[in-house]
Amino acid sequence: MSALTIAALLAWGVVAGLDFVSVLQAMVARPLVAATVAGVIVGDPGNGVLVGMALELYALEVLPVGGARSPDYGPGAVAAAAAARGVPPAALGVALAVGLLIAHIGDWSIVALRRRNTARVRAATAGLDAGDLRTISRVQLLGILWDAGRALGLTALGLGVAYAARHWLPVAPRATVLLTAVLVGVGLATAAGNAVRLTARRNGVAWLALGLLGGGLWIVLR
Amino acid sequence: MDRPPLTAFLRTWFRLLTVQASWNYDRMIGVGLGYAVEPLMRALPGGRDGERYRGAMQRAARYFNAHPYLTGLAAGAFARAEHEQVPGEQIERLRTALLGPLGAVGDRLVWAGTLPAASALGLALSAAAPTGVGAAALLALYNVPHVALRVWGLGAGWRRGTGLARALATPVLTVALRVVGPVAAVGIGVALPLVAARLGGALDVAAWLAGAVSFAATWVIARWLAPTLGGVRLALLAAAAVLIGTGL
Repeated sequence: MSALTIAALLAWGVVAGLDFVSVLQAMVARPLVAATVAGVIVGDPGNGVLVGMALELYALEVLPVGGARSPDYGPGAVAAAAAARGVPPAALGVALAVGLLIAHIGDWSIVALRRRNTARVRAATAGLDAGDLRTISRVQLLGILWDAGRALGLTALGLGVAYAARHWLPVAPRATVLLTAVLVGVGLATAAGNAVRLTARRNGVAWLALGLLGGGLWIVLR
Repeated sequence: MDRPPLTAFLRTWFRLLTVQASWNYDRMIGVGLGYAVEPLMRALPGGRDGERYRGAMQRAARYFNAHPYLTGLAAGAFARAEHEQVPGEQIERLRTALLGPLGAVGDRLVWAGTLPAASALGLALSAAAPTGVGAAALLALYNVPHVALRVWGLGAGWRRGTGLARALATPVLTVALRVVGPVAAVGIGVALPLVAARLGGALDVAAWLAGAVSFAATWVIARWLAPTLGGVRLALLAAAAVLIGTGL
């Protein structure tokens, strides 16, 4: 990858990382979107979509209610798309594992960021209690800056892990195929479990089954 | 009562896009709300040097939490109450009263409804349509109601003021809350076979079998054995098992 490509991936990872919580929340952080764009950046949009689809299954589990913890899939999806560049579609397992690992680390990084924000707010208590606009603005803008730094670091780590996995991880070709199948299987079950949860008191399994029937018919009739 | 200029509403609306930027365990989104609502307070009697402005800003950045897209309702209502010179204690009570409803409605409507429905559509189209269509569809289906909700929220909050509860009882919102969960569940159901067919298209029978076993094992573990483990941790454990089992 060229320096320009790496810079574009880092920038996109920051955009996706910020979108997750701090700025806008327009869902460009969703793995389907983040990986598709990252796939375009690395020159393999097809694999970008495939890893984005697989990671999106996991992201369906996330209900970011209140201050709930959740994996940060944006930088993870960027790393997965970078790891998937030029790989046969049946052997995307390592790329998916990279994406999931970085998303999981992203979960911890958000907790660390929130603790940092809490410390900053405590240090600024006097100004905040007085309603001082400068203090309020500073706390708010520093929150954005720190989150941008967090997303940049996480994306850089992800690209490093993706590079290491592509070049140094001695995985047999058969193992990567099995890994792909297993990670897709876990993702599908995760998404299905979430669908049931969405309608917990209103026949969730029945609604899911209705949809499965429709999806099956779509495949048969197309 | 002097109504704030349109530019103040626009400033507040844009600032609300960053309402969670300083999310913390003490005040949650309180600081973000204070930052966002500040432009609407400038038109208070006495301006930015006035007593009303200072009092309003002292209240503005205190503890608060709500769904971020519905925080505009609170911002509009608090600003209206300050402009109507509602006593500070009453504004505090309003603040406390809004915590639960604005969180619960937003979580059900957006996180457990619109988002998974948009995601499901994106997945289905990614599996069945040309590259990029799925991602674009996800963004479009999600962001039209998202932006509409934010625009409506700030306006409705300002119009209703302390009578904000009525805004949450609008028929559109009530119906949406009832149907959005089932719609999302059906959507995910439609997407799953398409995604399985697309991602599994290049796999052989043995790999499909491995995928089916991992699906069944995950379902059992997530439903009954370890519901709090989470899909990502399960997947990382499964990945480690595959790599070790195949002699990494």
